Amino acid sequence: MSNSTSDQALKAHEPSYSTEERRTLPSGEEEFFFDVKTSDLEVNMGPQHPATHGVMRVLIRCDGELVTGAQAHLGYLHRCAEKIGENVEWLQYLPYTDRYDYLAAMNNNLGYSMAVEALMPGFEVPRRATMLRTICVELNRIASHLVAYGTYGLDIGAITPFLYAFREREWIQSLFEKICGARLTYSYIRIGGVFNDAPPGWLTEVGHFCDVFEEKWKEYRDLLALNHIFIKRTAHVGVIPKDMAIDFGLTGPMLRGSGVDFDLRRDMPYMAYGEAHEAGAFDVPLGEGEKGELGDCWDRFSVRVQEMMESIKLVRWCLEVIEDGPIIGDVPKVLKVPPGEAYVGIENPRGELGHYVHSDGGKIAVRCRVRGPSFTNLSVIEELMVGTLLADSVAIIGSTDIVVGETDR
Amino acid sequence: MELQAIHDTLTAAGVAGLLGCDEPRPSNKKEKDQGRSGLPFLMVDPAGIVPLLTACRDMPLLRFDLLIDLTAADPAADGEDLWVLIQLLSLKHRHRLAIKACLPKSALSMPSATAVYRAADWHERECSEMFGITFEGHPDPRKILLPDDWDGYPLRKDYEFPTEYHGISCE
Repeated sequence: MSNSTSDQALKAHEPSYSTEERRTLPSGEEEFFFDVKTSDLEVNMGPQHPATHGVMRVLIRCDGELVTGAQAHLGYLHRCAEKIGENVEWLQYLPYTDRYDYLAAMNNNLGYSMAVEALMPGFEVPRRATMLRTICVELNRIASHLVAYGTYGLDIGAITPFLYAFREREWIQSLFEKICGARLTYSYIRIGGVFNDAPPGWLTEVGHFCDVFEEKWKEYRDLLALNHIFIKRTAHVGVIPKDMAIDFGLTGPMLRGSGVDFDLRRDMPYMAYGEAHEAGAFDVPLGEGEKGELGDCWDRFSVRVQEMMESIKLVRWCLEVIEDGPIIGDVPKVLKVPPGEAYVGIENPRGELGHYVHSDGGKIAVRCRVRGPSFTNLSVIEELMVGTLLADSVAIIGSTDIVVGETDR
Repeated sequence: MELQAIHDTLTAAGVAGLLGCDEPRPSNKKEKDQGRSGLPFLMVDPAGIVPLLTACRDMPLLRFDLLIDLTAADPAADGEDLWVLIQLLSLKHRHRLAIKACLPKSALSMPSATAVYRAADWHERECSEMFGITFEGHPDPRKILLPDDWDGYPLRKDYEFPTEYHGISCE
């Protein structure tokens, strides 16, 4: 990648300071101001900067502490996921889906499986599988938001909350290990259902986790979200107004943080979410500008913190209604998907994860497009960072909660 | 709103460039048609994409305020067309619209949608480096995921994998 910056992309900046100024004070004394002649400095933030949540580079132009231009450079983690999708069989592609948003692998498995299922007319996922899917997906959402919570604190200088957050995340990971054997890249949700039933006592332990987490969650909220220093660093910073959020195609907590009331789980329900919402199992938290302005970094963060609790409510609802039954539908080992094209978007922890799949009736996809929420959510930072202070730019990147594995795929 | 109703609304408003609806259909053995499952598409003319998207965004009945995805597909190596695929979503009416435009491989150029949706910016950059489509009027047509000196369009079916990159063997 070249290091040069095209001037058209970085906004032109005209210095507003004068080189010499003199004024007379009321006492009669003369005062001189001498400004050191400065020039804009171009700084590379990354590719290894920990605050970029992965291998990404943001080229920043700054005038002292003021950011006057920003340009995101992606592609360091590009692993050709879409090309691989056109070269391996339907079922073989599933483990690759784990690897785009590696903090929410269950959700990625679900998105891909649902897209392929949409191409199989009349196919229905068994009810127990739907419930197990929902439990795993919501637990994974909590785990993902816990990382977002912890690393955001880390970004702006609070190390302790990160360690607390990883304690509960560890529990979720060991729950996943018990049900599917993996701790990060699960491939648990398969085309047609899930591949393993819950082991004895697993559902009881999930219920126990919900009880414990509810207590811990209050601590988390007080420790970071309501922390005075944290509020000072995030309120009024990186404000995304409603119109801008919509124009940039933001989804998920980024959109809801700006006060737009939209959640795919409630508004375009899939799986059992429609039923869950009718039963009052979850609400959709929105940014309200409580500590600063509507759509600032604190609002986005607060939406994520509140969503963890909604996920707990959803898991509890699933534990109530889950019944015995088959866990996977009748899907052959070598899957031939009927010809057709489908696009399925689901609500990932970071926004809408979309899969467009195109089959010609064979064993391999013709096209397998992944629309990752982080990619679109990140595109807003170039606009957002201009005019802020350098220290705030870290807060802004952190508040987008991107996973570079997903922006680059 | 169903696709046919969206199509009729746009036609009634006098939006040009609509080429009909591509609905899923059952297989037909007599005509050796395998059928098609999945999603219905609105077929459009790529040259008229900007007025079409503007109408989709602004008409009170449609209100597709989010551009969710813009990508392309190369359905066949020996085919003559590439498909440009656009997914729109309405926050108010809670419906989706899938748009498909066929671009001939001999003239891969169409107007950019960035003036209508800023979300199209990065999607078009990705689409153009992966498929070689030129989006006229794009404000910043650099590569996004690939290195600046990458040759070829990797997601095209006729793409040949390179044997080396800057002296590094890829075989």
